[in-house]
Amino acid sequence: MHMLWAKSILQHHVDPVIPLPVMDVIRLKKGHDLALQGQPEKQLFSAGRSTLLKIRPADFRGVKLKLMVKEGDHVRTGAPVLYSKTHPDLFFTSPGSGRISRIVSGERRVINEIVIDLDKTDSFEAFERFNEQSIASLSSERIKGQLLRSGLWPAIRQRPFSTVANPDIVPKAVFVSAMPTAPFAPDTDYLLEQDDRGFQSGLSVLKNLTGRPVHLVIGRKASHPLLTRAKDVVHHSFTGPHPAGNVGIHIHHIAPIRNRDDSVWYLSLQDVSRIGKLFLTGKYPVEKIITVGGSSVEKRLYMKIRQGMMLGDILRDNRYDENSRLISGDVLAGEIRIPEEPLGFYHEILSVIPENSDRPFIGWLRPGLRNYSVSNLFLSRLLNNRGAGLDTRMHGSPRVIIPFGNIESVLPMDILPTFLVKMIIARDIDEMEKLGIYECDPEDFALCSFVDASKMEISEIIREGLEYVEKNG
Amino acid sequence: MRRLRNILDRIEPEFQEGGRWNRFAPLYEMVDTLFYVPGTATSVAPHVRDAVDMKRSMITVIIALLPALFFGMYNTGYQASPEAGFLQNMQTGVLAVLPLILVSYIVGGLWEVLFAVVRRHDINEGFLVTGLLLPMTLPPGIPLWMVALGISFGIVIGKEVTGGTGYNIFNPALVARAFIFFAYPGQMSGDPVWSLADELTAATPLAAASSVQGADAVGLVSGAGYSLSDMFLGFVPGSVGGTSTLAILAGAVLLLVTRIANWRIMAGGVAGMVATALLANMIAPASQNSMLSLTPLYHLVMGGFAFGIVFMATDPVSASQTNAGRWIYGVLIGFFCVLIRVLNQAFVEGIMLSVLLGNAFAPMIDYFVLQQNIAKRKRAYAKQ
Repeated sequence: MHMLWAKSILQHHVDPVIPLPVMDVIRLKKGHDLALQGQPEKQLFSAGRSTLLKIRPADFRGVKLKLMVKEGDHVRTGAPVLYSKTHPDLFFTSPGSGRISRIVSGERRVINEIVIDLDKTDSFEAFERFNEQSIASLSSERIKGQLLRSGLWPAIRQRPFSTVANPDIVPKAVFVSAMPTAPFAPDTDYLLEQDDRGFQSGLSVLKNLTGRPVHLVIGRKASHPLLTRAKDVVHHSFTGPHPAGNVGIHIHHIAPIRNRDDSVWYLSLQDVSRIGKLFLTGKYPVEKIITVGGSSVEKRLYMKIRQGMMLGDILRDNRYDENSRLISGDVLAGEIRIPEEPLGFYHEILSVIPENSDRPFIGWLRPGLRNYSVSNLFLSRLLNNRGAGLDTRMHGSPRVIIPFGNIESVLPMDILPTFLVKMIIARDIDEMEKLGIYECDPEDFALCSFVDASKMEISEIIREGLEYVEKNG
Repeated sequence: MRRLRNILDRIEPEFQEGGRWNRFAPLYEMVDTLFYVPGTATSVAPHVRDAVDMKRSMITVIIALLPALFFGMYNTGYQASPEAGFLQNMQTGVLAVLPLILVSYIVGGLWEVLFAVVRRHDINEGFLVTGLLLPMTLPPGIPLWMVALGISFGIVIGKEVTGGTGYNIFNPALVARAFIFFAYPGQMSGDPVWSLADELTAATPLAAASSVQGADAVGLVSGAGYSLSDMFLGFVPGSVGGTSTLAILAGAVLLLVTRIANWRIMAGGVAGMVATALLANMIAPASQNSMLSLTPLYHLVMGGFAFGIVFMATDPVSASQTNAGRWIYGVLIGFFCVLIRVLNQAFVEGIMLSVLLGNAFAPMIDYFVLQQNIAKRKRAYAKQ
């Protein structure tokens, strides 16, 4: 008994100088955690060597890209391959060393894909390197210059419109959301346990780059000291079902976007680490950790891959069903890709789910023990949807908007989604702005689309609304 | 089942673009998806979807209506011949009510198909609910041609004219009911029509409550032979589906548990009714109006209030579409219902018009709630 007492006294005296941060906990209730089969297990494997990498310019929104290389050129890792038409000093660089073997163009000279045949070993472009102490005192100009040249600037995105951050402006805040709630999203504690280099340095770089508050949002149960004791940040914690982990939700509750000129920058946890590694090593960081999950893939795990790896290479030592869908990103907000396409620049999840076209006879009348539903209209709800699988079927025909309240029940924002959707369809910019369109992003409305009985493509409608406002606002 | 699927697959091309029956594509879609859940896959994110769809939502409403319907069928027979046995009464009831439902579905269905084909959109499942709601608000002895005219008016003027399902301002079943009431008042009011039997002229409880000036309404009702439990259970003359508060309650529980109907509308409606009825009760001693003395409990079990507040007011499209608005909308309906019942002695059923009035106010209520949401957002922005 007195052993426990002594132990507890000792534990109270750990780290007497650095107190745990005081942070606000925002509890969200609306949303839904998808009970998907095929959760990735916490084991890290390295992907085998790949012979080629690909760059997909469509990954980057809000920039018109122009080529700086041609087929046959040899590039080093970190060497510029594309630049932004409106900001010629904003480079998009090569994730590997090798020869540019193919440049695939589409309509109107839009570049669809750049293929790099890799050398046996990487040769790196040299960037400036600093030690941890000097990073704390770097000037904003120097940081910006290095980021723009190195090809890591695109890791910073901007709201509204989720574009590559505009180097000419200063945002009102920077967000690093480190509490992913999306299906199969990698656990941030585990990510940092596997590789903790560069994270704190990355945060300091961001602080000096903008001079604005860097908001670090972590989960309530986050335990890694790099998260809980991060410096140069304002800590926040959110709890609740998905989309509580989405950066759009965090921005809405902490620093909402008031109009189209009110900007916020955001990055993922791993991209912050990559920025830190760039400044510590002077080399472009080529690796990232992703998760592979889904009921259609044999091995569900964490993988260390290279940026630009094709899905086929990532799944080389893994087996997946012929009749399945490969999704770069999570099942709610990701994109369909074929094995020859690379994993998205911003994606950290590879989801593999079954394609299905079965048509149950009078399915709408049956008890539905194996129908996955958030509503209380199926027996499966009594078992909390255990035993109910999810595949790619729509489960119904598209209909007009009938406001049962499904959509509102999964959106933890102070926005009226049904009215916003109606105003987007009506293309009424004034009303869209008043209802908060600038605060929205398609990924935050993915669950709304998921639960909608009218089968409306709400994420797409939000995307259309944002594009319309971006062009005509 | 395999054979049906094969047949449907084989004729599908005729209904698609370029096929010879392309203009009847909505009809194919209706039959095809009636028997088989669509197998279409998602093409954009989110790549997975909830299993709920419009058919599932609407069938839940129909299931919620069934207790009131089945009881109503039995009660129709029972009111005509109280001494007859259960089976006999059920048979009478079914024979009287089923034709009403069939006419409502068939005539209404023809209009739905016509508009779907002309406007090139799919046939909406909401019609299944409208087609069942209307007969349940009608007296069992009503002529079939009146039902046909009523459902036609309700669908065409009450719904299609404003844009069809999802765009209607008023509840189409109530518009149909109101049409029948105002176009054929002679056949709709007065005691004889509310019962099947010719010789028996029984007053409905509401009619009894307003029959004598200056008397206590509760006394009048029990004097007419209707106890509180009679009215709660539903053994009184009245519309086909609206007499049994118990059966309606069962339906309400299903609608609330499945969250198809918004509880705020029902709660607001009951609250508004109770408050207004209590107010009326306070004025009652000073007035000759017998209806003023009806207590809230009696308002709840008499007439169509329960049916209207559970099944009519909760139609998601014609009700307010914001949560705060739904409270106001519900309270308004409860208030109007008691007001109409009390103020107009010649017109004892207030729920139909009060829901229609609520429908008319719903968009305006939403507008003010929306303005508040917008103002709140502006203030939050300014605070940063």
